[in-house]
Amino acid sequence: MLSNRLSHLWVPLGLVLILGIMAAVRAPQTFTYVGLAGALLVAAPLILAAVAITPIAIAGRGGVDLSIGPLIGFVNVTIVVWLSENGITHPILVFAYAILAACAWQMLLAAFIIFVRISPIIASLAGFMILQGVNLVILSRPGGVAPEWLGNWGWGTELLSPVLYILLAAFAIWFLFQRTAMFQHIRLMGADERTAYTSGVDIIKARFAAHLMAGVFAGLAALCLTGLIGSGDPTQGNTLTLQAITALVLGGTSLAGGKGGITGSVLGAVAMYLVFVVLSSFNFGAISGFMTQLLYGLMLVFALLVALVTTAPRTRAA
Amino acid sequence: MPAISLQNIAKSFGETRALAGASLHCELGEIHAIVGENGSGKSTLAKIISGVALPDAGKVDVLGHAPTTPAEAIAAGISTIYQEIMVAEELTVWENTFAGTDGLWRRKTTTAEKKRLARETLLRLAEVDIDPDTPVSALPLSVKQWIVIARAVLQKPKLLIFDESSAALDLEATNRLHKEMLALKEAGSCVLLVTHRIAELVKITDSATVLSDGKTVGRLEKSEITEKNLLRLMSADERHSAAGKRENSVISTAHKPALEACNVQLAANAWPLDFKVHAGEIVGIAGLDGAGQSEFVSILAGITPAPAGKVQVWGASTVSHEITSLADAEAAGITYVSGDRKKEGLFPNLSILENFGLALYDRMASRFGVIDRTQLSAAFDDEELRLSIKYGDRSDKITTLSGGNQQKVLIARAFALSPKVIILNDPARGVDIGTKQDLYTHLRDFASNGGAVVYLSTEIEEFLNFADRADVFFEGGIFASFDQGAITEDNLLAAMFGQTKPIVFDEDTGTEGVA
Amino acid sequence: MDQPIDINRKEVRMPTNKTGLARVLRSDAKGLLIGAALLVALFTVASILVDGFASANNIRSILLLAAFLGLASLGQTMVATIGGLDLSIPFVIGASNILLAYLFGTSVPAPLALLIIAVMGAAIGFLNGVLSYKIQGQALILTLGVGFAVVGGAQIFTTLGSQYSGTVFSQVPAWFSNIASISGTTFGLQFPPVIAIWMLVAFTLIYWINRTKSGRAIYAIGGNRTAAARLRISEFRTWVSTYTISGLTAAITGCLLLGFSGGGFVGVGDPYLFTTVAAVVVGGTSLLGGSGGYGATIIGVLVLQVLTSFLVGMGLNYAAQQTVFGLLILPMVALYARSPHIRYQI
Repeated sequence: MLSNRLSHLWVPLGLVLILGIMAAVRAPQTFTYVGLAGALLVAAPLILAAVAITPIAIAGRGGVDLSIGPLIGFVNVTIVVWLSENGITHPILVFAYAILAACAWQMLLAAFIIFVRISPIIASLAGFMILQGVNLVILSRPGGVAPEWLGNWGWGTELLSPVLYILLAAFAIWFLFQRTAMFQHIRLMGADERTAYTSGVDIIKARFAAHLMAGVFAGLAALCLTGLIGSGDPTQGNTLTLQAITALVLGGTSLAGGKGGITGSVLGAVAMYLVFVVLSSFNFGAISGFMTQLLYGLMLVFALLVALVTTAPRTRAA
Repeated sequence: MPAISLQNIAKSFGETRALAGASLHCELGEIHAIVGENGSGKSTLAKIISGVALPDAGKVDVLGHAPTTPAEAIAAGISTIYQEIMVAEELTVWENTFAGTDGLWRRKTTTAEKKRLARETLLRLAEVDIDPDTPVSALPLSVKQWIVIARAVLQKPKLLIFDESSAALDLEATNRLHKEMLALKEAGSCVLLVTHRIAELVKITDSATVLSDGKTVGRLEKSEITEKNLLRLMSADERHSAAGKRENSVISTAHKPALEACNVQLAANAWPLDFKVHAGEIVGIAGLDGAGQSEFVSILAGITPAPAGKVQVWGASTVSHEITSLADAEAAGITYVSGDRKKEGLFPNLSILENFGLALYDRMASRFGVIDRTQLSAAFDDEELRLSIKYGDRSDKITTLSGGNQQKVLIARAFALSPKVIILNDPARGVDIGTKQDLYTHLRDFASNGGAVVYLSTEIEEFLNFADRADVFFEGGIFASFDQGAITEDNLLAAMFGQTKPIVFDEDTGTEGVA
Repeated sequence: MDQPIDINRKEVRMPTNKTGLARVLRSDAKGLLIGAALLVALFTVASILVDGFASANNIRSILLLAAFLGLASLGQTMVATIGGLDLSIPFVIGASNILLAYLFGTSVPAPLALLIIAVMGAAIGFLNGVLSYKIQGQALILTLGVGFAVVGGAQIFTTLGSQYSGTVFSQVPAWFSNIASISGTTFGLQFPPVIAIWMLVAFTLIYWINRTKSGRAIYAIGGNRTAAARLRISEFRTWVSTYTISGLTAAITGCLLLGFSGGGFVGVGDPYLFTTVAAVVVGGTSLLGGSGGYGATIIGVLVLQVLTSFLVGMGLNYAAQQTVFGLLILPMVALYARSPHIRYQI
């Protein structure tokens, strides 16, 4: 029965293996000590973004957080403009700010979804537009300097780096969260909200909790992104939305809710990164960026269709 | 100590008034029932007690609480088994059985313990041994029903509400359920029952509250709960008198039937069915929920193709046309009216006129598909007069009408197609008596003008003085067929339970006579 | 039997007719009314605060930009009416924009080039519809993926053998430029023909939606899929055709934008990603399906364009405009597309 619960992982696992082999052949430097350290650094924001939207997807109602990218961008530019430029650079303060800011946004989003009762995807769509604009207002073009200790992450020469510890901490948080009754409530709510409501689950708190978890991971993702680029970039985060959703869907988390976990999302994100590695090993010249765009798009469509085939006998969602 | 004390409860949903002046009183240690005809507000009252619906007015006291959410109700010791089977299909048996039992963050029972208890309880209740890790979607309906019952029972409630929730269970299982209810009663809890099964009420209830049109009209004590009393109360007396008696019609069976089913099987190994309806005939179809009658009328209407066997109509010649799709049905002049208006009838976003007209656009459009509005309006005028539909303006949304008038519009839509055969699936569900009368009159006119009617109903009283024949379904087959003279409550009810003599509910003899 | 009916009808008609305004506010026309009021208010405020706002030039430019947004939002409206969303629109606009520029640079005759692009747009829309039919809840994500693939593919195609990535230079025929540029004239009159084209398309579409069988089928599907199936209205055909229309109109918009700017640029569609959704929502089409319509979207489009022009006049940049649009969507969705409380779903 364990195999049943983990069956959604076969596709991303297979994908990671195939792409891993391709990467090993095409770009063997990826699998050296320095290569892995760099890979970890580059892939961390995407991995954490994919992890962040997982609990929201599990919570159901077709909830995909489109605003995740601009949110990560928002935390990034505000760390640089509001904190760093005002001399607030203490790691504890910056960490606390990143996580609290991301959580605050997620609470706002959750409140809209719960109390105004609008569809999560529309709420997050509006959120995307708002934050995208706000980010540009705060910082009109890439610039500024991240706190020094954070910027130093960007060298990416050590495997045992803060980025690795952040990822491990994120996994640990998820592992603990998964063992709580709350996680069970969120799964039940995502699978069938009416069953959850009528059997006494506090669906308001459960939805808030799912978004709160998303906020924590989004904050961590923003720290990793800031470490990676060492400055503020108002648009860098936006591209993460589509990539994170692709990773999530590739990882077998159902957008219909109730099913999935971060293992899939992480594998999905790793697969996305490997696609990028394999593609850059070819000399596409001017079109390499377009190639990535084309492939990411195709992968997203492919992932959705695979999910459709593997979960074919589904009862209609209400 | 009173378990429930409700006084003068009122509740409206938009334009529809569900309850007005409903009261209920029952004690711990008794099994109490809410009885009344369809649409009388029974379910709404149950929902108010379980915290799902909030009353507009009135005083609620359930075990000393006035729950405003199901969570509050459960915390107060009130468990509810809803009409609809509330399970999360993709989660496992144990997850569904223990839904909502843990604290917000902390688990109260370990997973291993939950699995063990779930297995044990289902073995006891459902008498099947199920791996608790099985996803619920893989299980039959009856087991899902037991999971929901197990969930409620495991909460050790002081008040357990059953809202029409034995529909998916067979007779033997119903008897096991009764044992469970009696055990709860012995333990000092209260059981509140909302049910249509008259025999069930007679057997186990201690008292009953009678609802009519959202109002409490009486209370029955143990000695007064008899089939006769219940039937009289559940079906409004006026209807029988006002409906008048249908003339004994002579139907010529020498002609080919208007619609015929030959060797139709509802499932791979079900009984093969034969069914005929002739021009001028009104055939009633009855059965307990899940006995196959709904599936059968869907097949007759061409909505779902028959898994085996065939449905056919006879043309002017001796050539038969098989009905396997809605297109075939329409070509053959067969129309379908569903009682589940919300699900398969109404377009809530469209006007009264459009809800009526959508079916006619095919006939009333020019070569370029432009709809002839004048013709449409004229057609609506005709039907509106015949069915006496009451409305404000025909461009108003259909949702501004009462349930009965909404149903009339949908019936008008079916009649406007000038059908030869009309198939109705419980069309009187949740409509007022006046509408029912108009409907009966209309269908009789239709039949006497040579139309054929297939009328499925969940209220067997509807067939009295109305149907020429009644076919009763049991376990996926037609168990018995009664001609006009033999259509009585007793006969129909017995047949619904698969018995050839009037039914006696008892766990010892309950399974006897079941074919 | 006939006698009591008239009496009953009169009784019922009287109360529902008594307050016209209250009735309008309960009906679908509510969206149109609120939208129109918003439009008038915005225009008035802007005329007072911004010099030259009500000038012929400014109004002409508002209408020109509104024509592009209006055409781009046409498909979005249709798709939203059946409860879907199409996020591939901006990418199809961008792709057709550069592909048309590319074709203008080859020996393909201009009308044929336009036809090729239109067919391509419809084909992409068709693909969107077919692929998303079984996963309607995720149509938004799927179309986003398709859009990405399309724009990537188009860029690869136009970049091969050229060193300018993302931008295509070629000679746009003068007659084509005239259609969509601000200095264009219609039969000698001082306004670009694209505005007239938009109005013609809008009129035809609204007539088709309201008066024909296939137009009404869209609302039937949007209102109740099962009931529509019982009346033999095909959900698949309706779903796929609305997406096809969406792809087609997006491609046409992309072509017209080439006439407007004179040079192919793939990013030309980007502002339309969420703006089309905003126009639909602000107009009052519920994203849950079944209500609203293109008439409402036209109002939404005008509101957004007047607002944009106003914000520009007030010195706000593109980023701030996006934020304002986002903030505008929320209350509008809250007004039209709230789902019922869970206790009413049991």
